[in-house]
Parts: sequence; C-alpha cells; structure tokens
Amino acid sequence: MLATALALAVAACGSGGSNSSTSASTTAAPAGKPGAGKPALTLGAKNFTEQFVLGQLYKQALEAKGFTVKLKNNIGSTEIIDKGLTSGNIDIYPEYIGVGLTAVAHDNKSYPTEQAAYNAFKTFQEGRGFTLLDQTPFTDVDAIAVKPPYAKQHNLKSVGDLKNAGGFKIGAPPEFRTRFTGLVGMKKEYGITNATLVPLTIGLQYKALDSGKVQAADVFTTDGQLQKGSYVVLTDPKNIFGYEQVAPIVNKKTLTKEGPAFAQTVNAVSAKLTTKAMQQMNGAVDLDKQSPSAVAKTFLQANGLL
Amino acid sequence: MIGPAFAAGGGGTVIPNFGRGSNCVRNNHTFCWDWVKQHWSDTLGPALVQHIVLTLIAIGIGFAISLACAFFAHRHGWFERPFGTLSGLLYTIPSLGLFQLLVPITGLSTTTVEIALVSYTLLILFRNTLTGLRSVPEDTREAARGMGLSESQMLWKVELPLAVPAIIAGLRVAVVTVISLATVAAFIVDQGLGSPIFHALQSNFTTELIAAGGLAVALALAADALLLLAQRLITPWARLRRA
Amino acid sequence: MTFVHAFQFIGDNAGLLWHKSVEHMAIAAVAVAIAMAVALPIGLWLGHLHRGSFLAVNVANIGRALPSLAVLSIGIAFLGVGKANVVLALLVLAIPPIITNAYVAVDSVETDAVEAARGMGMRPTQLFVKVELPLAIPLTFAGIRTAAVYVVATATLAGFFGGGGLGDIISNQASYGLDGVVGAAIVVTVLALGTDGLLAGVQYLITPRGLRGDTELLGAAAEYEATRAAPETA
Repeated sequence: MLATALALAVAACGSGGSNSSTSASTTAAPAGKPGAGKPALTLGAKNFTEQFVLGQLYKQALEAKGFTVKLKNNIGSTEIIDKGLTSGNIDIYPEYIGVGLTAVAHDNKSYPTEQAAYNAFKTFQEGRGFTLLDQTPFTDVDAIAVKPPYAKQHNLKSVGDLKNAGGFKIGAPPEFRTRFTGLVGMKKEYGITNATLVPLTIGLQYKALDSGKVQAADVFTTDGQLQKGSYVVLTDPKNIFGYEQVAPIVNKKTLTKEGPAFAQTVNAVSAKLTTKAMQQMNGAVDLDKQSPSAVAKTFLQANGLL
Repeated sequence: MIGPAFAAGGGGTVIPNFGRGSNCVRNNHTFCWDWVKQHWSDTLGPALVQHIVLTLIAIGIGFAISLACAFFAHRHGWFERPFGTLSGLLYTIPSLGLFQLLVPITGLSTTTVEIALVSYTLLILFRNTLTGLRSVPEDTREAARGMGLSESQMLWKVELPLAVPAIIAGLRVAVVTVISLATVAAFIVDQGLGSPIFHALQSNFTTELIAAGGLAVALALAADALLLLAQRLITPWARLRRA
Repeated sequence: MTFVHAFQFIGDNAGLLWHKSVEHMAIAAVAVAIAMAVALPIGLWLGHLHRGSFLAVNVANIGRALPSLAVLSIGIAFLGVGKANVVLALLVLAIPPIITNAYVAVDSVETDAVEAARGMGMRPTQLFVKVELPLAIPLTFAGIRTAAVYVVATATLAGFFGGGGLGDIISNQASYGLDGVVGAAIVVTVLALGTDGLLAGVQYLITPRGLRGDTELLGAAAEYEATRAAPETA
C-alpha cells in the first residue's frame, strides 16, 4: 500500500487533472471572474468541523471567481445530504469516497486502491445524473490512536499489534461496535478480541486517552489534535478503514450551467488539501476556536486562490 | 502510514499560521473574554443579526395573518373557535418537533423555520387582537355609528386604535417567544444565535456556549423591555385601568 | 410519504419510544414538582401579604423571555451535562409562571370576600386556608399547567445536553433516520397536547363550582390577560 500511495503521490503531484474525466482541468485556478453572470448554486456541507472548513474553502474560492454560492451548512447525515442532492435542494457537496460507497451506493466491496474506489463511486454517481470532481490528496479515515508510552510498552505499530497488548479499553462512538470500519473489521481482519468498547461522543476521545480512561481511541486522521505527535496513530495495512478521500459530488446539469471554470476552481482548491493542511485547519477551528470562514480565508489567500 | 505523504501537496500547499488560541481558550476555561472580543465580528455578531432578521420576518408575517384573522373573527364570531383551537394546537407542539415535522415537506430551509415560527405567533396575536377589538365599549361604538361612521371606518378609526394596548401586549409575548424558539431553528438552518450554541456543544467550548446563550437572553430581555416601553408610551391611559 | 414511514417507525420501535417517553416525562415531572415545592409557598404567601407585587409579576415576564435553549446551554456550561443538571435548568423556566400565577391568584381575591371573612372573625391563617386558597385555585393551577406544558416541551431539548428523553431521537437523525425523527416528533407532540388536555381536565375538576367558566380572565385588567404566562413551547 505504501508503494501505491507513493505512486499516487507522484501521479497527483505531476498532473492534478488526471483523475477527473471532465474537460481539461488543471490545478491552476482560472483567471478573472468567469463566474460572473452564471446562475446561483447551492453548496452543501455536513455538520462537523472538517466539512465546515471544506464548505467555506469551496464557497470563498468560487465567490472570488465571481460565482454566486449559497452555502447550506450543518446538514446532518449522509442520508439527508444525499436526499438534498437528488431532490435538487443542493447542487454540490464534498463526500468521502468510502462513506459514499457504503451509505449511498450500498456497495460494501473492498477496493484495492484509492483510485479504484474513486472510479467505482464515480461510475455509480454518473448513472444517476451526477459526477465527481477531483479527489483531494488528504483522506480522512478512522484510525486507532494510542499514547506513545502505551505504544512503546506493547510495541505497537499497526492495528494488528494490539492483539498482543492484553485486554484494553477503546473509546469510540457507539456505532463502532457494529461497523466493519470498527470492532467488527478489527476482529475479522486482525483477530482482535481483547477490546472493550467505551462509548464516547466524537470529540471526547482525546480527553479520555489523556486521562487514561481508555488505552486506545477511534480518531480521524485529519483531527487537529494529531498535529503535534502527542498520539501514535496505528497503521492499517489490511485497510479495514477504507479510503476516505474527499471528492465533490456535483449535479451534471450544474456543471454545464456554470461552465468549465467552475470545475477548475473547485479542483484547484481540492489539489491543495493535504492531510497536514487539513489537520492544521481542523486544529485551528477545534483547538484554537477560530471560525471556519476565517481559517478558510487565510488558507486560500496563502495559496493564491483568493 | 496515515495516507499519501505529500510533502508539498499538489503543486505546493502553503500552510499559513491560523493564529493560536489563547491559553484560556485552549484550556477551555469557563469564560474567555478575549475570544469573545476577537470573534464578535465573524461569529457572534453575524449570528445576532441573522437571529433578529429571522424574528422580524416571523413577527411580520404572523402579525399580518393574525390581524386579518382577528378582523374576520370580529365580524364573524364563528371563526374564533376553529382558529383559536388550531393556533392553540400549533402552539403546544414542541418547537424541535414542529421543525422536524415540516422538514419532509419544505426541506432544510429558512422557509421551514419561518413557517414554524409564524405558527407560534398566531395564538397570542390573534387572541389579543380580538380581545382588544372586543374591549371597545358599546357606548363608544354607538356614538361612532351615530356620527355616521361606516363599519370599516369604525374598525380602523375607533376599534383598532383602542385595541392597541392589547395588541402590543400580545406582540411583546410573541416577540419574546419567537426569539426563544429561533435559537432552536439553528438545528435546521445554520443561522441565528442557536448556531454558535450548537457548535459550542459539539466542540465542547464553554465560552461560546455562555456568550451565545447570554446574547440570546439579552436580546429577548431587551426586546421585551423595548416593547414594554412602547406599550407604556403609546397608551399611557392603560396604566390607570389596572385594578 | 415520510409520515407513513414515521408511523411505521413508531410501530416498530414502540419499546424504544416508550422508554424515551418515560424518561422524558420523568425529567419534566421532577422539574415541575420541585418548582411547585419552591414557588407555590412563596407565591401564595406573598399574595396573601399583598407584598412584593413588582417582583412577583415581573418574574413571570422575565422567565417567559428567557430563551430556553440559552438557559439550558448556560446551565450546562456551568454544571456539566447530565440529567440532574437539565432538571436544574428546567427549574429556572418552570418557577416563574407558577410563582406569578400563585401570587396574582391570592392577591386578587375579591376584597369583599376577605372583608366578609374577617367580619366573621377568621384569623389570618384561617382566612388564607379557607377563603383565599380555594378562590385562588383556578389561576394558580393555570400557572402550574403552563409550567408543566412548557417543561414537557423544553425537555425535548434535553437530548442535546445528555438529558435523554425523546429529544435524543429527534436530534439524532444519523442514528434513527428521518422516519425516526418524525416519529419521535409526533410522539412528543402527543405528549405535550396530552399533558395540556389532562391538566385542563384536572383544572376543571378542582375549580370550586362557583368559579367555573371564569378561568379565562380573573378580575384584573387586560394587561394581565396579555402578560400572564400563556402555554409556552420550546
């Protein structure tokens, strides 16, 4: 998987537009105000920090190019936001490939590469009148995190190593118990039967880890708390947590209405979103309590997209 | 490995400094005044403005409907019961429940929010306006008829002005009710003072919880006081009638 | 449409909904009970003494003005999440209507009745218990009814603050789906309407016969009519 990732890295670094089948798009944002005069569009975002930031990033970048964007923030689950898409309430929203495949396409197959998963999801969406724009470099998957002393004590590098750590408590949302991207997958692929689930709402895992209430926790790879290295994130060689890079799902009609510069602008933003960048932005909102719109603006300006 | 390890991302990502939060904020102390000052313009202020706008729209529409219905009920008494019962029913439905009941019909939009908020104003505005119109003494009506006023002139020139105290009293309750319920609206559309409240709940941020909650309380009390002042100013004679 | 599915959800998940409803009503009941224990003695006695009218009347206005979500938020910010804390926050919302109505109820008992009783030689306590209280029942109970309906409605928000109840479902579409959310919304509506209806019935029954039919407006001016705590929802 390392080799695949490196290959992807080289490929994406080289030509940012190679993943998309829309008309020749590059990672450079178009010049001028190509969006001026185009019809208004609605951008949706789910209700957690990373999505708030993504929503603001796309919105502000598009507005800088003259597009008229209405941001519908805080939409709940995938089910709801997909309904918004299919009913025409929203025209575009950023989705995680793995989540999209299981929750929307009801496709539980396991794909060998990120690209394969992306293509599968794209094919599905194109069958219903939508398509995917470029995927982001970052992927926001579930991961298991432990504190460094605990990792050292039990020589933990990958999730599978937990098998030999004796009984341990893991803090995670209640659904973790029954998900394949959770205890079910951990048992099936890594043979982990020594875990006790401590149900926690998202956001409280780090506190629980710090206080020793749990020895391991379900985290997201782009969490701001992971920036500093105060936690060890275990690798997932069997890829039970799947691929969760982001790709905006967009209505094909919208793409036509808004013109080629629309996709170009969005893709230009997506290309800049590395895991480190998302971690920093999420951290700025979650830990430093900055507002998502201010954080997005700062990022876009620093990267010449505003 | 967490994911593709881009050193410089697709064509060089620059990660700027987003501004480190103060120690107070990072440690989630009970109340960090510095955060409030810093984020007034990007978080609290806009939320407050959105909240006021949501309220004004709901009151405006609710008042127009209630006024029309009260006029109608004043002339056709049979209307009072059904409308009163309906608006009373709507009033009793818990706001979060009503919002969610409307979502399948009107979606996650300000329309849903406004329909619900308007519903909550109808009972009190209707009842108060009607009571006000009816409180005009029969002698006054007789005198007006004697002077040759038509029914509609009587309504606008005699009955309505005398109903003003009751109407304003009703507006006072309605405004305060709507301000309160508009905080819950943020669950449907990310607008109003409920928005920072929900964000603060999600991110466990005490300062924002207290600041946004406090603003909502202040707004409601200020609106209440303002309307009370208006009530006293417009109808100084009403005070004398209190038993 | 979704409403059909919602009723299906109610049918399929009756156990869950029952459990949540019981939780919901329990929180509400405890809050109202404590509020009554605190507010009734104060309101009734102050009304008897005809003292503190400014405070008593304005407490209701301010209490009604407090946005319930904000009160819950601030309360939880200081006290932390959990059922006990939610009950405490609900107290703040339940006390004002009870205290004000109790005050006004006793305070506005017709002077004639009071004079007549004194003339018969009743001592102040006897007067309070035998004359003022019975005459004060309708309006006092109206205050309790208002508080109860208000609390049942506001308890829906407890779901956000770790308080359980039906709000747990209504605020959690991710776990229960739209059908669940709408289903729970229907149930909580029925609960609120049911509480109001039930208490209206009780109010009718305990009102002394001579005062029945007068619960809409008791003595006093239109200002009370407008500012008395009408059933609130949150």
